[in-house]
Amino acid sequence: MAEITYNRPEFAGVADDAQAQVDWPAYRRASRPELLAFVVALAAAAGAAAIVETGDVVQRPGAFATVAAVSILGFAFAGLLWLQARPWNGLGPLLLRLAAVSFVGSLAGAPSPWLFLLGNAALWLLAVGTVWALAAFPSGRLDTGGRLLVGFGGAILLGAWLPRLLLSAHGVGSSFIGRCNGACPRNVALVWDRPGTAHELQIAQGVSRATLGLAIVAYLAVRYARASRPRRRIVLPVYGVALLYALSVAVVGIAVDVLDHTPSSSARFLIVATRLLFPLGFIAAILLAHAYAGTALAGMARGLGDSSSVAAVEDLVRRVLDDAGAKLGFWVARFGVFVDRHGRTLELPPDEEWGTWHVFDRNGEKTLALRHDPALSDDPELVQAVGSAALIALENRRLQHNLFDSIDELRASRRRLVVAAASERRRIERNLHDSTQQKLVALRIQLELAREQAPTGTPLRARLARMGDDLTDALDELRAVAHGIYPQLLTDEGLSAALHDTAPRIPVPVEVDADDIGRLAEETEVAVYYTCLEALQNVVKHGGEIVNARVTLRREGRTLHFRIADDGAGFAVRGRPGGTGLTNMTDRIGAVGGSIAIRSVPGSGTTVEGRIPLGEREEVNHR
Amino acid sequence: MSEDERSYTVIVAEDAYLIREGIRQVLEGEDEVEVAEYCGDLPSLLHAVEGHQPDVVITDIRMPPTHTDEGIQAAAALHESHPDVGVVVISQYVSPHYALRLFEHGSGGRAYLLKEHVGHRIQLMEAIREVSRGGSVVDPKVVDVLVKARTKARNSPLAQLTPREREVLAGIAEGKSNAAVAKSLFLTKRAVEKNINSIFSKLNLDDDVDVSRRVIASLLFLADTELETTDGLPKQEQQPSPH
Repeated sequence: MAEITYNRPEFAGVADDAQAQVDWPAYRRASRPELLAFVVALAAAAGAAAIVETGDVVQRPGAFATVAAVSILGFAFAGLLWLQARPWNGLGPLLLRLAAVSFVGSLAGAPSPWLFLLGNAALWLLAVGTVWALAAFPSGRLDTGGRLLVGFGGAILLGAWLPRLLLSAHGVGSSFIGRCNGACPRNVALVWDRPGTAHELQIAQGVSRATLGLAIVAYLAVRYARASRPRRRIVLPVYGVALLYALSVAVVGIAVDVLDHTPSSSARFLIVATRLLFPLGFIAAILLAHAYAGTALAGMARGLGDSSSVAAVEDLVRRVLDDAGAKLGFWVARFGVFVDRHGRTLELPPDEEWGTWHVFDRNGEKTLALRHDPALSDDPELVQAVGSAALIALENRRLQHNLFDSIDELRASRRRLVVAAASERRRIERNLHDSTQQKLVALRIQLELAREQAPTGTPLRARLARMGDDLTDALDELRAVAHGIYPQLLTDEGLSAALHDTAPRIPVPVEVDADDIGRLAEETEVAVYYTCLEALQNVVKHGGEIVNARVTLRREGRTLHFRIADDGAGFAVRGRPGGTGLTNMTDRIGAVGGSIAIRSVPGSGTTVEGRIPLGEREEVNHR
Repeated sequence: MSEDERSYTVIVAEDAYLIREGIRQVLEGEDEVEVAEYCGDLPSLLHAVEGHQPDVVITDIRMPPTHTDEGIQAAAALHESHPDVGVVVISQYVSPHYALRLFEHGSGGRAYLLKEHVGHRIQLMEAIREVSRGGSVVDPKVVDVLVKARTKARNSPLAQLTPREREVLAGIAEGKSNAAVAKSLFLTKRAVEKNINSIFSKLNLDDDVDVSRRVIASLLFLADTELETTDGLPKQEQQPSPH
């Protein structure tokens, strides 16, 4: 795993933090202007329908009105959705403008010649705008091919439609579905009525439209072929409807403009449907992006359960983003750099080329950088979802690390305390044994020699003898005290010998079964020894008149099991939380990483039982 | 023992000056004992044994270099290199564990004495004599610890013994001969023998005529343990002193 230094400020309060700070891809609530815009769009749709219905210009006002209304609402809804989900993207405003243009286009159903002209111009503009929108999808910007397509559309508008308008008395009723009912309103833009030229222009226009349609198909095909896997997924909904739209443009160009064919009403319906579907593709693009992000999040959540390492998290991110080049950078606050999964410093590209790196912040601090396919910049929901999930996983690991570090630290410090206390006890016992006890023993020898030299039968000799006996008593007491402070045998011979040696000193019968445990780490031996002692003292205190105790130590693999059981009076454990010495025992055993439990039933004795994990260096049968 | 009208060459190893002086004062009053050398640690003790070929070594249990169980190590080493040299280990530890450790390589010619009893001339001399002829001695206080612990246990086999028999068993564990037990308990030798027969049948122990084996058997019984003895056999015959 990468060497990552985490800088979590505080342990407490992190949980609140974590909940509050995850920055989900915002489904922000629709703002007032947007609601207003939507109301305006509804009104516009209704208005457009009314204009067409009352205009009595087109053959099928009902169908034309429906198409106009659906087109306005579709573009408006798509535009608002984009504006909301991708505020930085130019497509939202563009789609909204197309909604407005659609509204103006409905004027093609109006009886006024000027309005009729304006409506038809708008419908042409809408066609060019549609090409613009699909070429700019999904980034909102036009590449060279896109500019050429839009330019081509504009050229048809200016080079074929506009001259026709100027040269034909009735040649402007170009709205496909809005074919004039009988005579179209007068062409107010007519300059010079040249029907022949106008017809040639119409053919040229048809050929151009067909060419444009095919060019769009080719353009989409090339872009799709070149796209990375993530981008293909992103563009599919819009490219799907765009393909239908482009084909319909081509077909209409040939059939209607060039061949002057009048399509059947069902064919017309199909062709119009492709135009109505067009805004739906943009709506679907956003909804599918959210849906995919949701799926990805679920995948992350599932995968993170098994991901135990930073590398695994990174692999999961790659899989979920479907982006083999995805990479995570982890912020190391201490050095102010991002590092990769191997702990190497990552150089993020400078800000102006930021496209592929996404940096996640928390509390205004950098935490995580995600390098992804540039196409995923157009899928921010996904990047946000995946990045946030990865962040949570890493935070979680970080918390765990902190927690485990704290626990380890605490345990190490408790262990040090136990060891320090034990070595201090041992030092005192050494001093007593080597200095005080030694001097008293020497004195005892001298006293004995003095007694021998004193004349037999004299009071002096008797007094010296008595002094010797008193000194012997004092020595016994001192020896007991020294042993209580620290049994030398524990250091010299280990736990088993020390317990065997101590058992006879306990005022109740104690059986010790502790062979074959070998030598253990000093702190383990000390902890278990004093725990046994404490438990045995409890047996003496609470066991009652007739009681036997048994100390059992077993070593199973890397675990030491110990049990101090008696057949005495027992007691209610609940009733005396502090009085059993359990706290001391728990502290001692806990300090060496073990656990301990006490069971006692009045009338059925008491059992103190626990286990301690043993380290590598603890050898069996080492004397 | 009166038949030993002879002198013992002794080496004393004790690092504590006060104790060493005490031992010196005790032994200076004994004509039978000639102290060849006083040492302060294990290596110099082993070196002195090579140089003086002593009859008996009196050694502190805890000495330089490691201050752990040098006395027992010395006894073990001498068991290999000089099986005829008796060893009296003097100790401040009343724990039977150390006495039993001392006897791991055989109890013959080994004594375990508490230092506080070293001033007791008779006790020390008895230990010297015993080990020099392959006998064993255990400080009564150590035996007392064992007897008390064993008596305390419920269902203890010691409960079957009469108080007198317990005293006799303690005497045996201390390494006393029948005669010595009789003398210390003011009994006839005959009464002691009867007691011993009774004890050994009650405890299901082998009534070994060899005093040294009897010591270890009774000690082990009292300690309620089994000792891995590399050599349970005591020295059968005493090599004559080289000088």
